[in-house]
Amino acid sequence: MAKTNPHVDVVLIGLGWTNSIMGMEMTDEGLSVLALERGPDQDTVPDFAYPKMADELTYGVRYQLMQRPAKNTLTVRHGVRDLAVPYRSLGSFLPGNGVGGAGTHWNGHTWRPQPQELRLKSYVEETFGADTIPEEMAIQDFGVSYDELEPHFDFFEKVAGIAGKAGNLNGEIQEGGNPFEGWRSDEYPMPPMKRTLNDTLFRDMATEQGLHPFPMPAANASEAYTNPYGMQLAPCNYCGFCERYGCLNYSKSSPQTCVLGALKQRKNFAYRANCEVMKVNLASDGKTATGVSYIDENGDEVIQPADLVIMGAYSLHNVHLLLLSGIGKPYDPISGEGVVGKNYAYQMNGGATLYFKDKEFNPFIGAGANAEVLNDFGVEQIDFGQAGFIGGSYFSAAMTNGQPIRNMPLPKGAPSWGAQWKQAVQETYGHTMTIGSHGSNMSYRDCYLDLDPTYTDDHGRPLMRMTFNWKDNDVRMTQFMKQKIDILSKALKPDDYKLSFKDFNSQYDVRPYQTTHNVGGAIMGTDPTSSVLNRYLQTWDVHNVFVMGASAFPQNIQYNPTGLVGGLTYWAAKAIREQYLPNPGPLVQA
Amino acid sequence: MIHRYWMPALVGCGVLGTAAVAMAAQQSEAERGAYLARAGDCVACHTAPEGKPFAGGLKIESPFGTIVSTNITPDPEAGIGDYSRDEFAAALREGKRADGANLYPAMPYPSYAKLTDDDIDALYAYFMQGVEPVAEKAPESDVSFPFNQRWGISLWNWMFTDADTFAPTSGQSEQVARGAYLVQGLGHCGSCHTPRGVLFQEKALDDSDDAYLTGETLEGWWAPNLRGGGGDDNGGRGLQNWSADDIVAYLATGRNDHSAVTGEMTSVVANSTLHLGDEDLHAMAAYLKSLPRAADGDKKTGSETTPEQTEKMLTAADVEGKPGARLYLDNCNACHFANGQGAPQVFPSLVDNELVNADDPTGLVHVILAGARLPSTPGKPEALAMPDFGWRLSDEEAAQLAAFVRGAWGNHGGKVTADQVAEVRKALPEDRQSSKPDFVD
Amino acid sequence: MSSELKNASRRGFIKGSLMMIPAVTVGGGVSLTAAAAEPPANLDDYQPTFFDADEWRFILAACDRLIPSDGEGPGALETNVPIFIDQQMEGKFGHAADWYMKGPFHPGVSPLFGYQSPLAPREVYRKGIAATGRYCQDNHGKGFAALDVDTQTQILTQLEKGEIEFDDVSSGQFFAFLLQNTKEGYFADPIHGGNKHMASWKFIGFPGARASYLEWVEQHNKAYPLGPVSLTGERG
Repeated sequence: MAKTNPHVDVVLIGLGWTNSIMGMEMTDEGLSVLALERGPDQDTVPDFAYPKMADELTYGVRYQLMQRPAKNTLTVRHGVRDLAVPYRSLGSFLPGNGVGGAGTHWNGHTWRPQPQELRLKSYVEETFGADTIPEEMAIQDFGVSYDELEPHFDFFEKVAGIAGKAGNLNGEIQEGGNPFEGWRSDEYPMPPMKRTLNDTLFRDMATEQGLHPFPMPAANASEAYTNPYGMQLAPCNYCGFCERYGCLNYSKSSPQTCVLGALKQRKNFAYRANCEVMKVNLASDGKTATGVSYIDENGDEVIQPADLVIMGAYSLHNVHLLLLSGIGKPYDPISGEGVVGKNYAYQMNGGATLYFKDKEFNPFIGAGANAEVLNDFGVEQIDFGQAGFIGGSYFSAAMTNGQPIRNMPLPKGAPSWGAQWKQAVQETYGHTMTIGSHGSNMSYRDCYLDLDPTYTDDHGRPLMRMTFNWKDNDVRMTQFMKQKIDILSKALKPDDYKLSFKDFNSQYDVRPYQTTHNVGGAIMGTDPTSSVLNRYLQTWDVHNVFVMGASAFPQNIQYNPTGLVGGLTYWAAKAIREQYLPNPGPLVQA
Repeated sequence: MIHRYWMPALVGCGVLGTAAVAMAAQQSEAERGAYLARAGDCVACHTAPEGKPFAGGLKIESPFGTIVSTNITPDPEAGIGDYSRDEFAAALREGKRADGANLYPAMPYPSYAKLTDDDIDALYAYFMQGVEPVAEKAPESDVSFPFNQRWGISLWNWMFTDADTFAPTSGQSEQVARGAYLVQGLGHCGSCHTPRGVLFQEKALDDSDDAYLTGETLEGWWAPNLRGGGGDDNGGRGLQNWSADDIVAYLATGRNDHSAVTGEMTSVVANSTLHLGDEDLHAMAAYLKSLPRAADGDKKTGSETTPEQTEKMLTAADVEGKPGARLYLDNCNACHFANGQGAPQVFPSLVDNELVNADDPTGLVHVILAGARLPSTPGKPEALAMPDFGWRLSDEEAAQLAAFVRGAWGNHGGKVTADQVAEVRKALPEDRQSSKPDFVD
Repeated sequence: MSSELKNASRRGFIKGSLMMIPAVTVGGGVSLTAAAAEPPANLDDYQPTFFDADEWRFILAACDRLIPSDGEGPGALETNVPIFIDQQMEGKFGHAADWYMKGPFHPGVSPLFGYQSPLAPREVYRKGIAATGRYCQDNHGKGFAALDVDTQTQILTQLEKGEIEFDDVSSGQFFAFLLQNTKEGYFADPIHGGNKHMASWKFIGFPGARASYLEWVEQHNKAYPLGPVSLTGERG
């Protein structure tokens, strides 16, 4: 028999970036707020302390900070008629575990979308004609505009303490920044990071090519910083253990370094680690939620009554929980009806590895968001009609780490073992740099999420099933980028280089790490027949359930999602505080 | 060791929550008393670890035995509920129990003697009305003969205490006078920061004596000279190089542009000073800055390095044959950097740092071995922490490292031996937090 | 519902109704007095805990082929890679403890879908070594470890390419684990049993667990000069 906890005003599912922010915003209103986090509690010291983090095997290879597939995973297939099999060991993407979530183990690339990416369908139709959109493509508008989100991007960047250089201040283009970005009301709160050798080589070459390089907007502090919550960041020391690691130096923006210390001081906030929400409980009419049921740290089931439920789990888990809770109609790719699980999308990436015999890159001197970037081939810069695809990409020359188990690029033709492998390792290590292409991924009618009919998690619930594969439009996009990067690579005059881009034979491969930017499935929009959430991230069907995170993206932007996720969270918080709490009910009439 | 019994053991931060009580004009007498109790840091000694606030029971070890703090909740049996206002005043100012017995001078009544009648009234109102009664008596102190003869304290009291309430010195501004009152009285800063005489008495209870607040070593930790040198920056170290704002930041948040709190002062910030109003903290800072300082009697010279030399050597990673410098690069440089300056408000500077340059290296070695954590404060909520390195460094290595830091960047702290490290290591609590890698594979 | 929420929301919180989980946890069972590293084991004296004597001979020989001692730089044997692998078999990796290992299994699906075998890595090793041994006996008349270096290399190449097929285990998967773990043991921190005295790090110029380079970011095109440090503080 499940025990029932005392009522709280707000229950937060997950305690990463979005719900740390929601914790601040909801406690500001005087509400009692309880966060339930599936994973363990963790903080800089002792969990991420120096030198514990500097252990590639434990954290980089064995994924100590990631969710264990043994507990919960999903199944994957390429097409609606295929058999889906479990994602048994981690590879392609790495959902974070524990307090802080992916916000503890990310690299810190912090972008705003380009304004037109938020109204992509309308933009394409208006600019290039409706027939530019292939029939099977399912792109939509977000339903919220860049101008509406701008103050929230700005505040999130101040909370997270982003180091960068503005390229467009209130419409005026700024030297040294990204001239293709949307307007910004303010400069970044910190100056850009120091430049590594690869940064400067790439910058000088790109400038010569008439392109517009600028430093990556980085959630790695370039100086000591205090954010609006009084939380503090220390200057990054370029330790070379960033992505997949918690920051040992209070330098990487995370819920721990930017929010949680302030939130934990609030008497109307509490959180419980190792507590996994099983489902959102609905009232008998199905129109409101009454709270959640969860399994506590002792394995006992607990009912937590609450007036407001805010989902802030990893994007895939938000969708899973909606499906398990019966909130919204599940999407059916055959009929095209239903919404939950619709428009799952990923990220179309590629890159070049360049070898320079005589250059010393000291690759272990790096930070997650240390990179020089180009946005010249972004969504707003490409003529989709002429190029023959919809999408865009940013290029970056990054130097994030020199961890030798995983970061050992070898020249073409080098063997993978034996005496010659060893020789190639010695000759190559420290002498390579990369240029990456980080591209958008459109949504398609047959790329979606639903419940798997066969496999179950450790609580006996159905796993979620991912149906996904690469599509020609996005391959054309990345092939376009390949040509550009080929030119840029040659211009750097390396002794050798190799390109790695998806081609028309490429199928989705779950083994190599690609990115943890899984988006969609609980998408926002303007119409309940084509979206799960309204423009305030409120579920159309159950008005006291809000869903944060990249599950709201109707297709994937060309950038890393965290900046948009942060902006959307503050946008939703404002709507809850100013509109929902005084008058609870649907914020948009269907 | 002999001073141990003056010192409260570290009490967990935020026992009573962290909200500061505002100094509003309309606040009740009891609310004003609650604020004053914060300024007096009563809770730190009168609360046992995990215990109820003010119920006493904290064990304070001394060479003469264990002094146990008493229950000062308003329970009539177990606490002080049947104290009259005058009996309460006598306890605070004279160290007299209601039954006439003397309190052990772990209670800073020589300082509290400065309290005004108004403030005694407010404290009385708070302890009678604002504190939850706890009907549980704290254990008796276990002090052996002759120290259990409380009458002996009368003689000590006669020799070393002064029952006069605070009076401003002529010419003091209102702000400095307020600061002096808080520092000398409730703040009882002199308990740690004024040198002690042979009978463990503070050599001075106020600034009428030049010894007042000139620093003292307690259990090996240097409680620094707080005299600000009249506001002049004459190139010394410590508080005289801090601005009044630096002092306020330190007391309010445990950190400032130069340093961060360690040791017993951590508890003082967490339980007392972070709760004080901005005006009072500025007053205390103004008073400390106003105290004249001898022409740096405590400043040692003769460092073999300059800041530039050390920074250059570490930046080049040119540490062949310099084991202390190598250990610094392998353990400390990640946060404190080659210039030794750390980062303002986040990582303390090691250059001219009081803890680093103290005569006795105990405090520095303790921090190296066990780490340290700042309190979460309203102004700076992040409980920034330094991990422990005791598991990674042998006694010899820790000594080499500490000696390097004490001699680098123009520091002049002097040598450290492996035996000294071993002594500190032995005294570390066994159940402390460690960041040692703990591999499951 | 609406008025209820409004009232409930504005009534403020009930003090103490929510229990805070402490922000920090104290690790159990950690020795707090031991300083620095224990010296690494000597491979010749090491008694494997997972592998039996035959299996151990295979592991030693195979590791020696995958990262031989020839030429510059240490080989797998000088760096205790076999010890690393033996210890991994007993840990979470060997048991696939973090992996989703519920059926039904479809090992025949495209390799694009990742690991789909019901066997934990330690079982793959056990079966793979046995099957390789049988193959060597059948085709070369000796166990793998007794073959000459060229034949060993040839057999490993065939395993890698899937040219030798086994009944009860994928030869390609077996080789993939062996190669992956060999490189891990070569480059991982010595705390995991391999990379003895950080020899591989010194060989390639990786400073190990130093993780502190602020002053070196702008010293461009200049090889970082200082040797590595390990997690436990060993200096090289």
